[in-house]
Amino acid sequence: MILPGFEYRKAASVAEAIAFYNDFQGKARYLAGGTDLMPLLKYRLSTPAAVVDLKGIQELGAISADHGWLTIGANVTLFDLKNDPVVKEYFPVLCQSLEATSCETLQMRGTIGGNLLQDTRCIEYNKTMEWRTARGFCLKMGGETCNVVPHSRICLSNYCSDNALSLIALSAEVSLAGPEGDKTTGLEKIFSGCGSRVFALGPGEILTRIRIPMEKSRGVYEKLRVRNSIDYPLAAVAVAMRQNGARVCVGGVGPAPRVYDLTGTDAGSVRDGAQKAYTDARAVPNSTLSPTYRRKMVRALFRRAVNKILSEGK
Amino acid sequence: MRRIVCTFVVNGVTRELLVETNALLSEVLQDDLGLKGVHVGCGTGDCGACTVLVDGLPVLSCSTLAVTVRGKEITTVEGMANGTKLHPLQESFIEHGALQCGYCTPGMLLASKRLLEINPSPSRQDIKDALAGHLCRCTGYNKIVDAVMAAAEGEE
Ligand SMILES: Cc1cc2nc3c(=O)[nH]c(=O)nc-3n(C[C@H](O)[C@H](O)[C@H](O)COP(=O)(O)OP(=O)(O)OC[C@H]3O[C@@H](n4cnc5c(N)ncnc54)[C@H](O)[C@@H]3O)c2cc1C
Ligand code: FES
Ligand code: FES
Repeated sequence: MILPGFEYRKAASVAEAIAFYNDFQGKARYLAGGTDLMPLLKYRLSTPAAVVDLKGIQELGAISADHGWLTIGANVTLFDLKNDPVVKEYFPVLCQSLEATSCETLQMRGTIGGNLLQDTRCIEYNKTMEWRTARGFCLKMGGETCNVVPHSRICLSNYCSDNALSLIALSAEVSLAGPEGDKTTGLEKIFSGCGSRVFALGPGEILTRIRIPMEKSRGVYEKLRVRNSIDYPLAAVAVAMRQNGARVCVGGVGPAPRVYDLTGTDAGSVRDGAQKAYTDARAVPNSTLSPTYRRKMVRALFRRAVNKILSEGK
Repeated sequence: MRRIVCTFVVNGVTRELLVETNALLSEVLQDDLGLKGVHVGCGTGDCGACTVLVDGLPVLSCSTLAVTVRGKEITTVEGMANGTKLHPLQESFIEHGALQCGYCTPGMLLASKRLLEINPSPSRQDIKDALAGHLCRCTGYNKIVDAVMAAAEGEE
């Protein structure tokens, strides 16, 4: 499959990348490892005038631990992050979700920034131009209706980042730089909740850093997928337990992760939390497994993950 | 669309080429440099057949823009043998019947080469982890793992 035509710019700083974005009147896409973007371009799901390469921005490539935070540059690869000694010691849930992300070859190329900002997926969307033209464009491609749930006004394509779930469970924050200035916000706040426009980011905004409070945690990541070697999550649950309680994040089902703060870890609270996650999960037939099964697995993985931590602690 | 002058060190030889901004690394290696050992299967990152080494790391050439790896050292399967003497991994693949149609083989060999460079005595699980992104429709994988194990043992 050949790529559409576009210009290429390599930025040496965040400011330069934003300037390139503006040069092309916003018709530019940022490129990190390209493992998510390249297939989208090949399928003509995106046809930018220019691709702005962020990999040359040195300041986005570092991991540092100070002032009570672990700060991770957006360009750090999943493989390097997985092998970072602080991540291993402090954040087991992140280690496990990184390990469960695609495969080692892709982990060495894919960055954490690109992982968090990957597009949502759907069996009717991640298809060639010819296939999609024959089927008729759906909401996410600018069409009138959803091809999975006829007459639906909202796109429920699945957000499939494994590591967003563990980072949200760890109360991570993200820093964004854009034409309008810089800001830092909770990771769970960057989602719009709608699959046709996944992120509530301003035009041209760049994710620069992710930071996690440096507090040791216990954690478990549970992921449902067909092939353990490489597949995206079809439902997944991350749990991080710290002194003041457990934070659970559910994803792989629908366009945004959902967060549950457990006040207690007695059997009743865990059961109620899992039931709430089951009720909230809006699974539709847009992946290779049935929606009923994926919903039930949200509940099962929720209980399994929390109980695993509790039994480890004994 | 613009063309950019790019230098790559491909299998030890410095090559200077005019590369279109939207050219894939797989296209440059196959079409401009005639390296037909770069096998493109899926074209979307799922199968690993197109893997080459860039500065020693496995990279999917079907999903990499050639201009992003300017100035880097690229190894394709053609660069593994030394003249007519095959690389020990290639010998071991033949010995163990680790290929049938051979489509996945360049990717398997290069990813295994990288693994043995960082981990000279891997476990079977280490090999499976390193090759997880590589699909083979013929061998059933066991013979590939056997071949990499044997090559590692042979080199110790
Ligand atoms: C076969 C296969 C299996 C996969 N399996 C999984 C899986 O199991 N779990 C999973 O989570 N992912 C999976 N992925 C998706 C992908 O490989 C990873 O998410 C990877 O980490 C993406 O990072 P990247 O650097 O390659 O992103 P890119 O493709 O470079 O970028 C992804 C998106 O983010 C934008 N972007 C990148 N960096 C920035 C930044 N700093 N600021 C603003 N925008 C930015 C890009 O414009 C693009 O829209 C899989 C991919 C493939 C091909
Ligand atoms: S051809 Fe590149 S991964 Fe399949
Ligand atoms: S030998 Fe045929 S695909 Fe592996």
